[in-house]
Order: sequence, then C-alpha cells, then structure tokens
Amino acid sequence: MPKDPADRIELLQGTLDMLILRTLLFGKAHGHQIAKHIQRTTDEVLQVEHGSLYPALHRLERKGWIASKWETAAKEQKREFKYYRLTAAGHKQLTAEESKWKQLVHAIGRVMWPAEEG
Amino acid sequence: MNWWRKSKERDLERELQSHLDLEAEEQREAGLPPESARLAAQRAFGNRTLTTEVTREAWGWTWIDRLRQDVLYSARTLRRTPGFTLVAVLSLGLGIGANTAIFTLLNAIVLRLLPVPDAHQLVQFTYTLPMWETNPNNWNGYFGYPQFARLREQSKTLSGVFGGTSLGRVNVDFRGTAGLAQADAYTGNFFSVLALTPQAGRFFAEDEDRIDAAVAVISDRYWRNRFAGDPAVIGANVTINQLPFTVIGVAPEDFTGITVGSAPDLWVPLRTLDRFRPDPRRWDAAFTSWLLIAGRLKPGVSLEQSQAELDVIHRRLIREQLESSTELRNSENLKRFVEASHMRLLPAAAGMHSFLRQSYAFPLKLLMAVAGIVLLVACANVANLLLARASSRKREIAVRLAIGASRRRVVRQFLTESLVLATLGGLLGIVIASVGSVALVTMISTGDTPLPLNVTPDWFIFGFAAGISLLTVVLFGLVPAIRGSRVDPAPAMKDGARGTADSSSAWNRGLVMVQVALSVVLVTGAGLFARTLQNLWNIDTGYRRDNVLMFSVDARLGGHPAERVGAIYSEILERMRSLPDTQSASASIVRPVDDHFYLVDRVQAVDGRRLPEADTIRVAWNAISPGYFSTVGTPLLTGREFSAQDDERAPKVVIVNESLAKAAFGKDNPIGRRIDAATVVGLVRDTNYNGVRDKPRPVLYHPLFQYGSAQAFRWGFVSFEIRHRAGANPLEQIRREVAGVDRTLPVFRVRTLVAQTQQALLRERLLAMLATFFGALALALACLGLYGLMAYAVTRRTSEFGIRMALGAGRAHIFWLVVRGTLGLSLAGLILGVPAALWASRFTESLLFGVKATDLVAVLIPVAVLAAVAALAGYLPARRAVRIQPTIALRYE
Repeated sequence: MPKDPADRIELLQGTLDMLILRTLLFGKAHGHQIAKHIQRTTDEVLQVEHGSLYPALHRLERKGWIASKWETAAKEQKREFKYYRLTAAGHKQLTAEESKWKQLVHAIGRVMWPAEEG
Repeated sequence: MNWWRKSKERDLERELQSHLDLEAEEQREAGLPPESARLAAQRAFGNRTLTTEVTREAWGWTWIDRLRQDVLYSARTLRRTPGFTLVAVLSLGLGIGANTAIFTLLNAIVLRLLPVPDAHQLVQFTYTLPMWETNPNNWNGYFGYPQFARLREQSKTLSGVFGGTSLGRVNVDFRGTAGLAQADAYTGNFFSVLALTPQAGRFFAEDEDRIDAAVAVISDRYWRNRFAGDPAVIGANVTINQLPFTVIGVAPEDFTGITVGSAPDLWVPLRTLDRFRPDPRRWDAAFTSWLLIAGRLKPGVSLEQSQAELDVIHRRLIREQLESSTELRNSENLKRFVEASHMRLLPAAAGMHSFLRQSYAFPLKLLMAVAGIVLLVACANVANLLLARASSRKREIAVRLAIGASRRRVVRQFLTESLVLATLGGLLGIVIASVGSVALVTMISTGDTPLPLNVTPDWFIFGFAAGISLLTVVLFGLVPAIRGSRVDPAPAMKDGARGTADSSSAWNRGLVMVQVALSVVLVTGAGLFARTLQNLWNIDTGYRRDNVLMFSVDARLGGHPAERVGAIYSEILERMRSLPDTQSASASIVRPVDDHFYLVDRVQAVDGRRLPEADTIRVAWNAISPGYFSTVGTPLLTGREFSAQDDERAPKVVIVNESLAKAAFGKDNPIGRRIDAATVVGLVRDTNYNGVRDKPRPVLYHPLFQYGSAQAFRWGFVSFEIRHRAGANPLEQIRREVAGVDRTLPVFRVRTLVAQTQQALLRERLLAMLATFFGALALALACLGLYGLMAYAVTRRTSEFGIRMALGAGRAHIFWLVVRGTLGLSLAGLILGVPAALWASRFTESLLFGVKATDLVAVLIPVAVLAAVAALAGYLPARRAVRIQPTIALRYE
C-alpha cells in the first residue's frame, strides 16, 4: 500500500538523473521498470510521477550517458519495449554524481547534527 | 530533418503508450476493473501532453519551433500593414543593394585572389626608376629579357619565375572565319608556376617555349564564345595573325588571367614573339622595358627576404649592362638610374598591378563608405517606423505581457519581425545589386566589349549581403525592440491604442536629425564630384569635339607585310575622304584624348646644334596624316599642315606645338628652323595630349606616311578621324569602305570624339553619378523620415490642436507650430551635418578638380536643397493640422 501522502518526499532537482543511472547499473530496463524500481527500492517514499521520467530519459540519452533500443520483453515475446542501458560515459557520470551526492549528504549532516559528528 | 523529427515523435508516442498499457495491465492484475485500471495508470503517469512537450524540449528542437512561430506571426503582422512593410523593405533593399553592388565591384577589382593554389606566395617584380625632373617616386613593372634570365637563374628564394607580355589584339582565323582576340605571350613555365590544371587538353611546357612551338592555350570564356565549348577544339588548327597555331588546352573556368581588367583569350609561348614581330635585339638588349616578371616565393620565405636577394642581383646586372655597352656608358641618365634603382616586390595574390585597380580602388572604397552611410540612413528610417509602430502596438504588447509572455520573448518577437524585414530587404538588395553591378561594369568599360570582370554573385557576395542584413537588424531593430517591450501592462491597456507623448519621440527626433546630417554629408560630396566633372568637361582640350567619328584599324591583322601597311592605311584614308558625309578625314597613331597611348621621346638637337644631355627636351609625339589638325579642330597658328608630298622620299619635316616652340626657340618664329634632322613647317595651338587633366606639354608631330613608314608602323593600329556633316552617321559606309580595302580587316574602337572625351572622364562620371544617386537616395529617405515623424506627431496631437483651436488659436499659429518642428529638426541636422561634411570631404581631395574640398558653394547647395525638402516635408502635415475641426478632434478624445 502506498504510504500516507504526508510522508512522501518530492525529488530534489537533479537527483532523478542519478537515480535513473543507478537503476540502470543492474542492466537494461524500460521506463516502466525504472519507475517501479525507484518506487519499490525507496519503500515508496520517493514518489516519481511516471511521466516525469521520460524527459529525463531523453535528456540523458542526448547527453550520451544512456542508450536505447526497442527489444522484445524477456517474458512475453510478442511485445516490444524501449530498453535503456548505461553507456561507458554514463558509468563515469554516475560515479561523479555519487561522490557529489555523498559530499552533499555529509555537508548537510554536519549542519543538522553537529554533535553526532564528534 | 523533418522525417527524422517525425519518427522521433512516433517513437515517443509508442514508448509512452507501452508504458501506460503495461501499468494498466498491472493494475488489472491487482484486481481493478479495466476502465479504472486505465484511469489509475493515467493518474500515476501524470499529464501526458506536458510530458510529451517537455520531452521534446530535451531533444533541443524547440527553438526552431519558436522561431517558426515567431516568423509566421511576424509575417502575419507585416502583411496587415502593407504600407509600412513596403517602405521598410524598400529602404532596406536599396541600402543593402547599394552596398552589395559596390562591394561586388570592389571584390572583383581589388579584393578577389587569383584562383591559384597558395596565391599569397605570388609576387610581381618592379624596380624604382627615379625621374629627377618629374617624379622621384617613379617605378616600373616592365623589364628587359636579360633581367628575367638573370633573376630566374640566380634567385634562390623563389620556386619559380615567369615572364611575359601582351600581344594585344590579334586576328584569329578558325575554319575561314576571322575574329579579334586578346593574346598574351608567356614563358613556358607560366602555368606550372601558377600551379594551374587545364580543364581540357594540356598547357604548354617549359621546353615548348621555342620560336617554332606553334601551340596556344585558350581561356574558358573564349572557348565558350568562339568555339561553343566544343571539346574537339583541342588539336584544332587556327591561324593567329596568319601564323598557324594548334590549340592544345583550355584554362580553368575561373582563371581569367593574372591582371584584373585584362582577360586574355589565349596564351602562346613567349619565344613565338619572334614570329609575330621579329626583333633581333629582343632577347639581349639592355635597358629595355617590355616584359612583365612575376614569381612564386618558396614556402617560408618572406617577401622582404626575397626582395633583398633579388635587389642584389638586379643592381649587379644593371651595372654590368652599363659597363659592357660603349654607347650607353656615358649617358648621365643611365648612370643615375644604375646608381639609384632598386628592386621592389609587390604582393600579387590578387593579381598583377593593374591600371584599372589603381584608378578605381580608392573611388570604390569611397563609394563603399557612401553606400554605408546610405544604409545607415535607411536603417534610421526603419528604426523610426518601428518605434512609431511599437508605440501604436502598446496594447497588443500589454496583452501579451499580461497573459504571461516574458519580456525576453517579446523582444525576441520584435527582433524576429526585424529579421523578416531585413531578410526581405536583403533579398531585394541582392537582386538590385546583381543588376546594378553589371550596369556599373558596363559604365566603367572603355573598350569595345565590357570589362572582363566577374560580378556574378557568388557565396562571398551572398555572405556579405547576409552579413550586412544581419547588421541592419541590430542597427534598426534593437532599440525599438527593447523600448517596445518596456510596457507597463495595466496603464497601457487602459490607455488603449492611442499613444501618449513619451520619451520615444526623443529617439525619433534624434534619428531624424542623424538622417538629415548624414544626407547633408552625401549631398555635399555629390556636389563636389558633380562640379569636378563639370570643370573637367569645360576644359578646352584644344580639339573641337562635335561631329568627329574615330575608328582604328590594324593592317598587320590582315597579315600584310610591313612594306604594304602604309599603302593600306593611305588607301583607307582616301576612301574616307571621298565619303559623301565627310568634311575632312585624317589618320594618326595617337588619337585625341586617347586612353591607350602615350608616346614620348627626347629632342636631341635644335638647329643642328646638339643639346647637352641634361638639356634635351622631353616631348610627347604623334605621327599624323595631312588634314589632321583641321579634322580634330586644332588651330594652325603659322606655317602649313603636312601634305601628300611629305612622304618617305621627301625631306624630313615636323610640326611643333606652342610649348615645344617656346622650349626650343623661345619667342622666335619656329618655321624653317630645325629639330633633330627635320625642318619645322608648322606651329599649332597646345592640346591636352594625355587626357583631360593633362597640362599643356611640348608635342612633336611627324608626318604619318614619312615617319610611320620608316618605323614600319610598329606601334600597331592606326586611328582614323572623320569630321562629318552634322547629323550624319557614316559608320556603315566606313565599315563598307574598309572591307572594300581588305575584307579581313576588323574595325575597332569606334567612338565619337565626344564619347572618347566622356570615357576619359569615366572615373569622374562614375563618382559624380553614384554620389549624386546616393545623395538623392539618402535625402529622399531623410525626407521620408522627416515627413513620417511630422505626420505622426500631428496625428498624436490632434486633440491638442483641437483644444488650441477651440480656445482661439489661429490657423497660422497651428501651421507655424508644425512647420517650426520640421525646421528645428532640419536646422539641428544641418548644424551636425555641415561640419561633418567639411571634415569628410577632405578625403576626396585627390579626386577633385578645380574645386576645393572646403568649397562654400558645395556646402551651400545641400543646405538649400535640404531647406526646400524640409519645407515640403513639413508642409503636408502642417496643412493637415490646419484642417483639423475642433469639434471632431474633441469628440475623438
């Protein structure tokens, strides 16, 4: 069951790109799978409006970080989906964004909970 | 592009649909009924249209979409105001067209590089030739053959040196049909040093530069015009001045020779000169001057390095030449020459030094500046129109801003409109320019055919037109766009479409003032050039210009042996004399006001007394038939003209002009005295020998059939002058009679003496005509601006005038109110313009004649013209203001 709307968190600007790249690290996936994966893995805390995924996907593709191809689904042979997969440049980008993100979290943490840092 | 885009759209559509289908399926599997599952999927997805639009933006296409939108919208708005659009496009078109036309010519004459690889490596050889009496900066571009041989053999900084000369007009006979052509003779390495590739056949080679090498390369133009572009011409036999030659190749299409303004039709090896004009001393005579030399620098060698090397070779050679010749060794002039002459290399990337380029480079640059000013005036006009338009479009802009358009978007819309205007103006400009530049070339052509200049618009010209069109957008569009978008929606919408007095009228007034000032500058310039032309035309050149027709014939083109040539000319002259319309006829080497020839010599002895070298008299000379002076209308002061008895067997006689008589004999009567080996038989009035601007100079006249025959008519063609009955046109008879003497003899340079004089003033005419045209154009545009501003002001002040009238203001008062505005603006423009004109006209000084750059009349003319024009531009709106009915005006409020 979805959680109460009050507990949902709007995605920060720019983090969607990182989440998409991270999702694709496991292998190729189509848009629907990516959306579901992000929702599932965050215990549905992060709400991605499915539609907002596509501009992001197309932007990432234009930047050359992911590539797409129409393929038949593994389970049901008759239907085709547009599968995305990470490119080498995408791998690099993901690493870069990850480290940036870690720095951000770390910095915010030091402001919010200075004691815990010791 | 478009199909790619469509396929992307379809792809996205399919992708989104597959997503929705899959989600709906999952919802169904979770237990929802099909309809609710579909809705749930849509809910989870969000706004599909928005997603599509945002995704499209991620493709980076949207700016094209927006541009398309803006352009379409602009086109609609411009169509709604056809008057405005027409005036704007026309002003821009004329401005851009004027600039492009002049630029096309400037490009063709001055800028365009030779179409050869690495053109910047080419250099032309010249040497300084200080003339102590006349011009210490004199230089010469023509060498003797020994110079060429030495330079080519010894230079280490050049990868190749070629030399050549023009054969001038030749008679080319192909399958029995004769025709004139321009021929050049160049050394065998000419084409290889230029690194050209023939478009058909082959070029002549280094070892083909022999007297017996009967090969010719033809130009693309000649190939097309004379041989209809037939590839079979390769290997064809032609005769050139009755000598057999074989056509071996066609030069590349874009190669029209190495000198701007002279495009040879064919090239033959240099050594074949010995067959055309045998001259045993040609290849080793020292201190001659007939061979053009040019070369290609080795890669990495600078012009200065090469010049330094060649200067040493040049100076060593002329010293040797002086010392090895016993007869020349004691010439003071030559000693000074050898002492002082240095080699100078000219960059020849854009071709060899050309008379055409020399005389037109500066006038064309000047005209370019003038055309630029015209464009500025046109831009000011359009900017003014746009400003006025923007203030009457306030309501529209206010609505657009109110419903959420960003200011940037509005500015972009305005600029797009300007861009559309400029594009239309640019297209019109290109059309005007392509017609105009052909007309200009025809105008400056003195020969029988238009100058061989390539003025077909190419990408360079299109680029130039596009560039200045874009520039105009910035010039006329930016301020109106920024001002037009600065609208506060609320009051603007309340106020309605009616404009209120605001600061934009200050911009308007400023622009009109600038227009007026700029047109004052141009009209002043036009006045200066027009008066220069008039002054030159009114000069007494010493000839009576009316009813004289001239033509030239070259008997050698008919292949006649040297000893027959004189007889042919004399027969033509006899036939001319017997034509019914002829009053008198004559023949001469140099024709009056000639544009081709200039013959100089030195008088060595007077009355049998040999003059010391420093005192020899420098003279221009001509050889003329009996009746020459009465035909061209030069008064004979004393003595007689030459007669038929003054032939080869008779004692030598000459006629002198006043300047020569004075130089040789002082105030004494020259008749019967002796100049060199000849007796003076006549004295004539001074004439301007070398063109209209020439000062009177000593001129010596020889009898054509005495002196000419002795020299075997080696100067080429002879000119015939015919004074005919007024109103007669004897040209057809002339052609018939010449054909009667020899059917193969071409008649060329057919011109009246009036036309010949006009052509001598061609540059001045071009300047005067174009400056007047541009000045008038600028004035008309400024006038239009002035009128538009005043008319607009009257419209805006309708209610004000109504109230004034209702309160008792007289019509004269209202009239004066409007006229005062116009006069104020014109006056301000004049105050700006007159000093600017005085400043700018200094640059024209070298082109003026008989008028100073700071000429008061030249400044007063535009002042008067402008006052008249301003009065007219002010009168029409003022009349409308006076006719305002107070009741109607107030109801309008």
